[in-house]
Amino acid sequence: MQYKDYYKIMGLSRDATQDEIKRAYRKLARKYHPDVSKEKDAEAKFKELGEAYEVLKDPEKRAAYNQLGADWKAGQDFRPPPNWNEGFEFKGGGFTGGDAGAFSDFFEQLFGRAGFGGADRGQYGFHARGQDSHAKIYIDLEDSFNGATRNISLSTPEMNAQGQVQVKHRSLNIKIPKGIKPGQHIRLAGQGSPGSGKGEAGDLFLEIAFNNHPLYRVSETDVYLDLPVTPWEAALGAKVKVPTPEGPVDLKIPPNSKQGGKLRLTGRGLPGQKPGDFYVVLQIALPPATSGQAKALYEKMHQELDFNPRQALGV
Amino acid sequence: MNSHDLTCVHTGTVIEEDSLTLGQLCRACDVHADWIISIVEESIIEPQGENIRLWRFSGKCLLRARSALRLQRDLGVNLAGIALALDLMEELENLRAQMKTLGHS
Repeated sequence: MQYKDYYKIMGLSRDATQDEIKRAYRKLARKYHPDVSKEKDAEAKFKELGEAYEVLKDPEKRAAYNQLGADWKAGQDFRPPPNWNEGFEFKGGGFTGGDAGAFSDFFEQLFGRAGFGGADRGQYGFHARGQDSHAKIYIDLEDSFNGATRNISLSTPEMNAQGQVQVKHRSLNIKIPKGIKPGQHIRLAGQGSPGSGKGEAGDLFLEIAFNNHPLYRVSETDVYLDLPVTPWEAALGAKVKVPTPEGPVDLKIPPNSKQGGKLRLTGRGLPGQKPGDFYVVLQIALPPATSGQAKALYEKMHQELDFNPRQALGV
Repeated sequence: MNSHDLTCVHTGTVIEEDSLTLGQLCRACDVHADWIISIVEESIIEPQGENIRLWRFSGKCLLRARSALRLQRDLGVNLAGIALALDLMEELENLRAQMKTLGHS
């Protein structure tokens, strides 16, 4: 079991006042709240912060924690000294609020699995319906175009008969319907938490997100592709092959196309009752002037074309 | 896991704009109807349908309701604050998505 430095987690010194602890918590909670934060490990950080605050905000728990001494380093292998909590009364008691099931082994070793009085929700009565559960799954763009079956693994904390929380892993094969959009949900009836007694199981809600695609970007139901073109293709017009999720198509580039110009292929976005569109965004690629011939051609353009791209800047 | 589980494929229903009833949304968020009604009154989520019996909620309502619940529980934000925070975050999301579409990510 690893020692956790709750002061370090909250960025506080060991002599911080209760007010400072509260202020630090408020500030960091806003920073790492999974709904607000875009930082990758926000959820883990937020949990860690909640645990640190749970201990430090409570003068009694804090005093007990302090008694372990200041010499421990975060991550160091830790075993509580015998009778370390002598004179404190929280062990197994009801002092721990919050979702104690989410706290670390370190916390549980010190303060017990308190706060579980409220945790057997769903077990009141004799026939309670199980809770609905939620998960986010990532699929590929092609899965939405073609429809697919994906195997997903879920881990759910469940309570066993002894009242201990155990993380259960299970995997499900899920049908991904054609035309599903990012942000949409799939509901699987009866795949949530089991009910108690004769109560039916809850539902499982899966939020759909798309993996980043090497070629395409998705916005609502529209799909975008950056297409490199040569200056002469853009200037003179051309017919080029373009990849789409449904296979390559021939695209006509109109003459005098501009950098960043968008060409629309109607109805070739995500499929559905109202299919999205496919947009090709032109990216003009310049041939490098590395050979004598290329340099000569550029030089000729310089001589013969009257072109000032900075005209609008007034210079 | 037995071999039956390996071959079994679950087909769910896609939640469209008007899929969830008030009862279903309450269960999905594990809250009382009163709380859902209060966030509708604050226009944090907007159901379709004229009266409470006809209310239907979208998947987006589900996401916003669950976010609202966490913001209230974890940060102690009141409903007006939640409405403001969610709207600003949505705007931020849209801007991020737009940046991505423009290739600036």
